[in-house]
Amino acid sequence: MPRPPDIFDIVCNRSGRRGVLMGMGSQPPSDEAIKRAIRRDLDLGFTELVRALQPGIYAGSLRLLRNRDDAADVAQEAFLRAYRALESYDDERIDALRLRPWLWTIAINLCRSTAKGRKPQTPLEDRHHVGTEDDHDYGDWNRRLEALTAPQRTAVVLRHVADLPIAEIADITGRAEGTVKADISRGLARLRRTLEAEALT
Amino acid sequence: MNDIITELIDLEATPPDDLEMRTLVSAGAADRAARTDSPIGPVWVSWSPRGITALSPLFESATFEEFAGFHRRGVYESSTLPSDLTDAVESGLFEGQTVGLPIDWRGLSSYQQGVLAVCATIPAGTVRPYGWIAEQINNPGSVRAVGTALGHNPIPLLVPCHRVVRSDGSVGQYAFGAEIKRDLLVREGALLA
Repeated sequence: MPRPPDIFDIVCNRSGRRGVLMGMGSQPPSDEAIKRAIRRDLDLGFTELVRALQPGIYAGSLRLLRNRDDAADVAQEAFLRAYRALESYDDERIDALRLRPWLWTIAINLCRSTAKGRKPQTPLEDRHHVGTEDDHDYGDWNRRLEALTAPQRTAVVLRHVADLPIAEIADITGRAEGTVKADISRGLARLRRTLEAEALT
Repeated sequence: MNDIITELIDLEATPPDDLEMRTLVSAGAADRAARTDSPIGPVWVSWSPRGITALSPLFESATFEEFAGFHRRGVYESSTLPSDLTDAVESGLFEGQTVGLPIDWRGLSSYQQGVLAVCATIPAGTVRPYGWIAEQINNPGSVRAVGTALGHNPIPLLVPCHRVVRSDGSVGQYAFGAEIKRDLLVREGALLA
Protein backbone atom coordinates (compact mmCIF):
# COMPACT_ATOMS: atom_id res chain seq x y z
CA MET A 1 0.00 0.00 0.00
CA PRO A 2 1.56 3.35 -0.96
CA ARG A 3 2.20 5.65 1.96
CA PRO A 4 -0.19 8.62 2.03
CA PRO A 5 1.48 11.90 1.07
CA ASP A 6 2.42 14.10 3.99
CA ILE A 7 4.20 17.39 4.55
CA PHE A 8 7.52 15.65 4.43
CA ASP A 9 6.92 14.46 0.89
CA ILE A 10 6.10 17.97 -0.19
CA VAL A 11 9.29 19.18 1.44
CA CYS A 12 11.29 16.46 -0.18
CA ASN A 13 9.83 16.97 -3.61
CA ARG A 14 10.14 20.74 -3.62
CA SER A 15 13.82 20.85 -2.88
CA GLY A 16 16.12 19.37 -5.51
CA ARG A 17 18.72 18.62 -2.87
CA ARG A 18 16.31 16.24 -1.20
CA GLY A 19 15.38 14.43 -4.38
CA VAL A 20 17.16 11.34 -3.07
CA LEU A 21 14.23 10.56 -0.81
CA MET A 22 11.52 8.06 -1.65
CA GLY A 23 8.43 9.44 -3.26
CA MET A 24 5.09 7.68 -3.49
CA GLY A 25 5.16 4.38 -5.29
CA SER A 26 8.93 4.20 -5.74
CA GLN A 27 10.99 1.14 -4.85
CA PRO A 28 12.62 1.11 -1.43
CA PRO A 29 16.26 2.20 -1.73
CA SER A 30 19.02 -0.40 -1.38
CA ASP A 31 21.29 -0.69 1.64
CA GLU A 32 24.10 0.85 -0.37
CA ALA A 33 21.95 3.79 -1.48
CA ILE A 34 20.88 4.46 2.10
CA LYS A 35 24.45 4.29 3.37
CA ARG A 36 25.57 6.70 0.63
CA ALA A 37 22.79 9.07 1.63
CA ILE A 38 23.80 8.84 5.31
CA ARG A 39 27.42 9.62 4.46
CA ARG A 40 26.32 12.61 2.37
CA ASP A 41 23.88 14.02 4.91
CA LEU A 42 23.13 12.16 8.13
CA ASP A 43 19.67 13.66 8.64
CA LEU A 44 18.38 13.03 5.13
CA GLY A 45 20.03 9.61 4.97
CA PHE A 46 18.57 8.69 8.33
CA THR A 47 15.14 9.73 7.04
CA GLU A 48 15.56 7.21 4.22
CA LEU A 49 16.68 4.57 6.69
CA VAL A 50 13.58 5.12 8.85
CA ARG A 51 11.25 5.00 5.85
CA ALA A 52 12.85 1.85 4.47
CA LEU A 53 13.20 -0.21 7.65
CA GLN A 54 10.96 1.11 10.43
CA PRO A 55 7.68 -0.41 9.16
CA GLY A 56 9.35 -3.86 9.14
CA ILE A 57 10.90 -3.39 12.58
CA TYR A 58 7.48 -2.34 13.88
CA ALA A 59 5.72 -5.30 12.27
CA GLY A 60 8.24 -7.81 13.64
CA SER A 61 8.28 -6.23 17.11
CA LEU A 62 4.48 -6.29 17.15
CA ARG A 63 4.48 -10.06 16.59
CA LEU A 64 7.13 -10.54 19.26
CA LEU A 65 5.55 -8.26 21.87
CA ARG A 66 1.89 -8.54 20.83
CA ASN A 67 1.18 -5.00 22.00
CA ARG A 68 1.00 -2.01 19.63
CA ASP A 69 2.29 0.64 22.05
CA ASP A 70 5.27 -1.51 23.05
CA ALA A 71 6.04 -2.25 19.39
CA ALA A 72 5.91 1.47 18.52
CA ASP A 73 8.19 2.31 21.47
CA VAL A 74 10.70 -0.33 20.39
CA ALA A 75 10.57 0.81 16.75
CA GLN A 76 11.19 4.43 17.79
CA GLU A 77 13.90 3.71 20.36
CA ALA A 78 15.81 1.36 18.04
CA PHE A 79 16.14 4.12 15.46
CA LEU A 80 17.08 6.75 18.05
CA ARG A 81 19.93 4.51 19.16
CA ALA A 82 20.91 3.95 15.54
CA TYR A 83 20.97 7.71 14.92
CA ARG A 84 23.21 8.35 17.94
CA ALA A 85 25.55 5.60 16.78
CA LEU A 86 25.65 6.94 13.22
CA GLU A 87 26.55 10.40 14.52
CA SER A 88 29.76 8.96 15.95
CA TYR A 89 30.64 6.57 13.08
CA ASP A 90 33.13 7.48 10.36
CA ASP A 91 32.52 6.66 6.68
CA GLU A 92 34.39 3.39 6.86
CA ARG A 93 32.30 2.13 9.74
CA ILE A 94 29.07 3.18 8.03
CA ASP A 95 30.19 1.35 4.87
CA ALA A 96 30.72 -1.84 6.84
CA LEU A 97 27.19 -1.82 8.33
CA ARG A 98 24.59 -4.34 7.27
CA LEU A 99 21.63 -2.15 8.01
CA ARG A 100 18.79 -4.61 8.56
CA PRO A 101 20.68 -7.07 10.79
CA TRP A 102 22.13 -4.10 12.69
CA LEU A 103 18.71 -2.52 13.34
CA TRP A 104 17.23 -5.90 14.20
CA THR A 105 20.00 -6.57 16.73
CA ILE A 106 19.10 -3.32 18.49
CA ALA A 107 15.36 -4.01 18.21
CA ILE A 108 15.57 -7.60 19.47
CA ASN A 109 17.45 -6.45 22.57
CA LEU A 110 14.81 -3.79 23.18
CA CYS A 111 12.03 -6.37 22.68
CA ARG A 112 13.69 -8.63 25.23
CA SER A 113 14.06 -5.91 27.85
CA THR A 114 10.52 -4.70 27.19
CA ALA A 115 9.12 -8.23 27.65
CA LYS A 116 11.22 -8.71 30.79
CA GLY A 117 10.19 -5.38 32.31
CA ARG A 118 6.52 -6.03 31.66
CA LYS A 119 4.41 -6.87 34.64
CA PRO A 120 3.12 -10.44 34.37
CA GLN A 121 -0.47 -9.25 34.36
CA THR A 122 0.06 -6.80 31.47
CA PRO A 123 -2.73 -7.77 29.11
CA LEU A 124 -1.60 -8.76 25.66
CA GLU A 125 -3.92 -7.40 23.03
CA ASP A 126 -6.44 -9.98 21.92
CA ARG A 127 -9.19 -10.27 19.39
CA HIS A 128 -11.57 -8.29 21.55
CA HIS A 129 -9.29 -5.24 21.47
CA VAL A 130 -10.91 -3.52 18.50
CA GLY A 131 -13.62 -4.93 16.33
CA THR A 132 -12.20 -4.69 12.82
CA GLU A 133 -11.50 -7.68 10.59
CA ASP A 134 -7.75 -7.03 10.75
CA ASP A 135 -7.81 -6.95 14.50
CA HIS A 136 -9.53 -10.35 14.59
CA ASP A 137 -6.68 -11.83 12.57
CA TYR A 138 -4.21 -9.93 14.67
CA GLY A 139 -5.66 -11.25 17.93
CA ASP A 140 -5.77 -14.81 16.55
CA TRP A 141 -2.14 -14.63 15.57
CA ASN A 142 -1.15 -13.16 18.92
CA ARG A 143 -2.70 -16.19 20.58
CA ARG A 144 -1.02 -18.63 18.19
CA LEU A 145 2.40 -16.98 18.62
CA GLU A 146 1.91 -17.03 22.38
CA ALA A 147 2.05 -20.83 22.25
CA LEU A 148 5.66 -20.71 20.98
CA THR A 149 8.73 -20.41 23.21
CA ALA A 150 10.42 -17.01 23.12
CA PRO A 151 13.41 -18.26 21.04
CA GLN A 152 11.03 -19.98 18.59
CA ARG A 153 8.95 -16.82 18.22
CA THR A 154 12.05 -14.67 17.69
CA ALA A 155 13.53 -17.08 15.14
CA VAL A 156 10.26 -17.47 13.19
CA VAL A 157 9.65 -13.70 13.11
CA LEU A 158 13.22 -12.85 12.11
CA ARG A 159 13.23 -15.51 9.41
CA HIS A 160 9.80 -15.02 7.90
CA VAL A 161 8.64 -11.50 8.83
CA ALA A 162 12.02 -9.75 8.78
CA ASP A 163 13.21 -12.10 5.99
CA LEU A 164 16.73 -12.45 7.44
CA PRO A 165 19.00 -15.39 6.56
CA ILE A 166 19.73 -18.07 9.20
CA ALA A 167 23.35 -16.93 9.66
CA GLU A 168 22.28 -13.40 10.52
CA ILE A 169 19.57 -14.60 12.90
CA ALA A 170 22.25 -16.67 14.63
CA ASP A 171 24.42 -13.51 14.96
CA ILE A 172 21.54 -11.41 16.25
CA THR A 173 20.27 -13.94 18.80
CA GLY A 174 23.68 -15.33 19.78
CA ARG A 175 22.53 -18.91 19.06
CA ALA A 176 24.09 -21.55 16.83
CA GLU A 177 22.74 -21.82 13.27
CA GLY A 178 21.56 -25.37 13.89
CA THR A 179 19.63 -24.23 16.95
CA VAL A 180 18.05 -21.39 15.00
CA LYS A 181 16.95 -23.82 12.26
CA ALA A 182 15.46 -26.13 14.86
CA ASP A 183 13.67 -23.20 16.56
CA ILE A 184 12.15 -22.17 13.24
CA SER A 185 10.94 -25.64 12.26
CA ARG A 186 9.56 -26.40 15.73
CA GLY A 187 7.92 -22.99 15.86
CA LEU A 188 6.27 -23.48 12.47
CA ALA A 189 5.20 -27.01 13.41
CA ARG A 190 3.58 -25.66 16.54
CA LEU A 191 1.75 -22.98 14.54
CA ARG A 192 0.62 -25.70 12.08
CA ARG A 193 -0.81 -27.84 14.90
CA THR A 194 -2.58 -24.83 16.40
CA LEU A 195 -4.16 -23.96 13.05
CA GLU A 196 -5.24 -27.58 12.48
CA ALA A 197 -6.82 -27.69 15.93
CA GLU A 198 -8.65 -24.45 15.15
CA ALA A 199 -9.95 -25.93 11.87
CA LEU A 200 -11.44 -28.88 13.74
CA THR A 201 -13.37 -26.80 16.28
CA MET B 1 4.22 -24.59 5.86
CA ASN B 2 3.97 -21.97 3.13
CA ASP B 3 0.40 -21.04 3.91
CA ILE B 4 1.29 -20.32 7.53
CA ILE B 5 4.26 -18.21 6.53
CA THR B 6 2.20 -16.26 4.01
CA GLU B 7 -0.47 -15.56 6.60
CA LEU B 8 2.12 -14.51 9.14
CA ILE B 9 3.77 -12.11 6.67
CA ASP B 10 0.51 -10.70 5.37
CA LEU B 11 -0.87 -9.99 8.80
CA GLU B 12 -1.71 -6.32 8.86
CA ALA B 13 0.79 -4.41 10.99
CA THR B 14 0.85 -0.82 9.80
CA PRO B 15 2.82 1.44 12.14
CA PRO B 16 0.99 4.37 13.78
CA ASP B 17 0.72 7.38 11.43
CA ASP B 18 2.96 9.58 13.53
CA LEU B 19 5.71 7.04 14.30
CA GLU B 20 8.00 8.20 11.48
CA MET B 21 7.60 11.85 12.46
CA ARG B 22 8.13 11.16 16.17
CA THR B 23 11.28 9.18 15.38
CA LEU B 24 12.80 11.78 13.05
CA VAL B 25 11.92 14.69 15.32
CA SER B 26 13.12 13.09 18.56
CA ALA B 27 16.39 12.01 16.91
CA GLY B 28 16.88 15.57 15.70
CA ALA B 29 16.93 14.47 12.05
CA ALA B 30 13.94 16.66 11.20
CA ASP B 31 12.60 19.87 12.73
CA ARG B 32 9.18 21.08 13.73
CA ALA B 33 7.93 24.56 12.95
CA ALA B 34 5.12 26.74 14.27
CA ARG B 35 3.76 30.21 13.55
CA THR B 36 4.20 32.88 16.16
CA ASP B 37 3.94 36.67 16.37
CA SER B 38 6.92 39.00 16.24
CA PRO B 39 7.61 42.76 16.04
CA ILE B 40 7.76 42.42 12.22
CA GLY B 41 4.53 40.43 11.99
CA PRO B 42 3.85 36.67 12.09
CA VAL B 43 6.88 34.41 11.58
CA TRP B 44 7.68 30.70 11.23
CA VAL B 45 10.03 29.45 13.95
CA SER B 46 11.53 25.96 13.58
CA TRP B 47 13.38 23.94 16.18
CA SER B 48 15.04 20.61 16.93
CA PRO B 49 15.72 18.99 20.33
CA ARG B 50 18.99 20.99 20.30
CA GLY B 51 17.48 24.43 19.82
CA ILE B 52 16.05 26.91 17.32
CA THR B 53 16.97 26.20 13.70
CA ALA B 54 15.29 28.96 11.67
CA LEU B 55 12.97 31.96 11.60
CA SER B 56 11.21 33.30 8.55
CA PRO B 57 8.54 36.01 8.35
CA LEU B 58 5.30 35.13 6.64
CA PHE B 59 5.84 38.03 4.22
CA GLU B 60 8.73 35.90 2.87
CA SER B 61 7.12 32.46 3.13
CA ALA B 62 3.37 32.80 3.45
CA THR B 63 2.59 29.09 3.76
CA PHE B 64 4.24 26.28 5.68
CA GLU B 65 5.07 24.56 2.38
CA GLU B 66 6.95 27.65 1.21
CA PHE B 67 8.88 27.81 4.46
CA ALA B 68 9.64 24.08 4.30
CA GLY B 69 10.67 24.37 0.65
CA PHE B 70 13.77 26.38 1.41
CA HIS B 71 14.43 25.20 4.96
CA ARG B 72 17.78 23.40 5.08
CA ARG B 73 16.36 20.32 6.82
CA GLY B 74 13.19 18.23 6.83
CA VAL B 75 10.42 19.91 8.83
CA TYR B 76 6.93 19.10 10.12
CA GLU B 77 4.29 21.67 10.98
CA SER B 78 3.22 22.10 14.58
CA SER B 79 0.37 24.18 16.00
CA THR B 80 2.44 25.60 18.86
CA LEU B 81 6.00 26.11 20.00
CA PRO B 82 7.20 23.55 22.56
CA SER B 83 6.59 24.63 26.16
CA ASP B 84 10.31 24.89 26.96
CA LEU B 85 10.83 27.39 24.12
CA THR B 86 7.62 29.45 24.28
CA ASP B 87 8.78 32.00 26.87
CA ALA B 88 12.34 32.22 25.59
CA VAL B 89 11.22 32.87 22.02
CA GLU B 90 8.63 35.42 23.10
CA SER B 91 11.06 37.42 25.25
CA GLY B 92 13.70 37.10 22.54
CA LEU B 93 11.32 38.52 19.95
CA PHE B 94 9.50 41.18 21.98
CA GLU B 95 12.03 42.16 24.66
CA GLY B 96 15.21 41.53 22.70
CA GLN B 97 16.45 39.00 25.27
CA THR B 98 18.28 36.90 22.74
CA VAL B 99 21.56 36.20 24.57
CA GLY B 100 21.67 32.59 25.71
CA LEU B 101 18.80 31.32 23.53
CA PRO B 102 19.32 27.66 22.59
CA ILE B 103 20.37 27.59 18.92
CA ASP B 104 20.97 24.50 16.77
CA TRP B 105 23.77 25.51 14.39
CA ARG B 106 24.01 22.20 12.51
CA GLY B 107 24.01 22.52 8.73
CA LEU B 108 25.79 25.90 8.67
CA SER B 109 29.40 26.32 7.57
CA SER B 110 31.85 26.70 10.42
CA TYR B 111 32.59 30.26 9.27
CA GLN B 112 28.93 31.27 9.28
CA GLN B 113 28.46 29.53 12.60
CA GLY B 114 31.39 31.48 14.08
CA VAL B 115 30.03 34.82 12.85
CA LEU B 116 26.48 34.12 14.05
CA ALA B 117 27.61 32.79 17.43
CA VAL B 118 29.48 36.08 18.06
CA CYS B 119 26.46 38.04 16.83
CA ALA B 120 24.27 36.12 19.28
CA THR B 121 26.22 37.66 22.20
CA ILE B 122 25.23 41.27 21.32
CA PRO B 123 22.64 42.40 23.89
CA ALA B 124 19.51 44.41 23.06
CA GLY B 125 19.94 48.17 23.17
CA THR B 126 23.45 48.01 21.75
CA VAL B 127 24.99 47.82 18.28
CA ARG B 128 28.39 46.62 17.00
CA PRO B 129 30.18 47.35 13.71
CA TYR B 130 30.83 44.57 11.18
CA GLY B 131 34.56 44.99 11.90
CA TRP B 132 34.01 44.08 15.56
CA ILE B 133 32.68 40.65 14.58
CA ALA B 134 35.60 40.18 12.16
CA GLU B 135 37.98 40.86 15.08
CA GLN B 136 36.09 38.55 17.44
CA ILE B 137 36.48 35.62 15.03
CA ASN B 138 40.21 36.44 14.66
CA ASN B 139 39.80 37.40 11.04
CA PRO B 140 39.91 41.22 11.05
CA GLY B 141 40.20 41.44 7.25
CA SER B 142 36.93 39.61 6.57
CA VAL B 143 34.44 42.45 7.08
CA ARG B 144 32.74 41.78 3.74
CA ALA B 145 32.46 38.04 4.43
CA VAL B 146 30.96 38.88 7.83
CA GLY B 147 28.32 40.94 6.04
CA THR B 148 27.54 38.01 3.72
CA ALA B 149 27.30 35.53 6.60
CA LEU B 150 24.96 37.85 8.50
CA GLY B 151 22.92 38.38 5.33
CA HIS B 152 22.29 34.63 5.21
CA ASN B 153 21.41 34.36 8.90
CA PRO B 154 18.72 31.62 9.05
CA ILE B 155 17.45 32.87 12.43
CA PRO B 156 17.01 36.66 12.07
CA LEU B 157 15.65 38.59 15.10
CA LEU B 158 16.64 35.77 17.50
CA VAL B 159 20.25 35.79 16.29
CA PRO B 160 20.26 39.60 16.24
CA CYS B 161 22.08 40.45 13.02
CA HIS B 162 20.08 43.71 13.02
CA ARG B 163 22.40 44.87 15.85
CA VAL B 164 25.40 44.86 13.51
CA VAL B 165 25.81 48.23 11.78
CA ARG B 166 28.32 50.13 9.65
CA SER B 167 31.32 51.71 11.34
CA ASP B 168 30.17 55.19 10.22
CA GLY B 169 27.07 54.77 12.37
CA SER B 170 24.58 54.19 9.52
CA VAL B 171 22.44 51.08 9.97
CA GLY B 172 23.67 49.34 6.82
CA GLN B 173 21.90 46.55 4.94
CA TYR B 174 19.30 44.11 6.20
CA ALA B 175 17.67 41.10 4.62
CA PHE B 176 14.21 42.63 5.22
CA GLY B 177 15.28 46.19 4.30
CA ALA B 178 17.05 49.01 6.16
CA GLU B 179 13.72 50.46 7.30
CA ILE B 180 12.82 47.37 9.35
CA LYS B 181 16.37 47.24 10.76
CA ARG B 182 16.08 50.87 11.90
CA ASP B 183 12.64 50.21 13.46
CA LEU B 184 14.00 47.22 15.39
CA LEU B 185 16.94 49.23 16.74
CA VAL B 186 14.66 52.11 17.76
CA ARG B 187 12.36 49.65 19.46
CA GLU B 188 15.30 48.22 21.42
CA GLY B 189 16.53 51.69 22.42
CA ALA B 190 19.75 51.46 20.43
CA LEU B 191 18.69 54.31 18.15
CA LEU B 192 16.63 57.43 18.72
CA ALA B 193 13.40 57.55 16.74
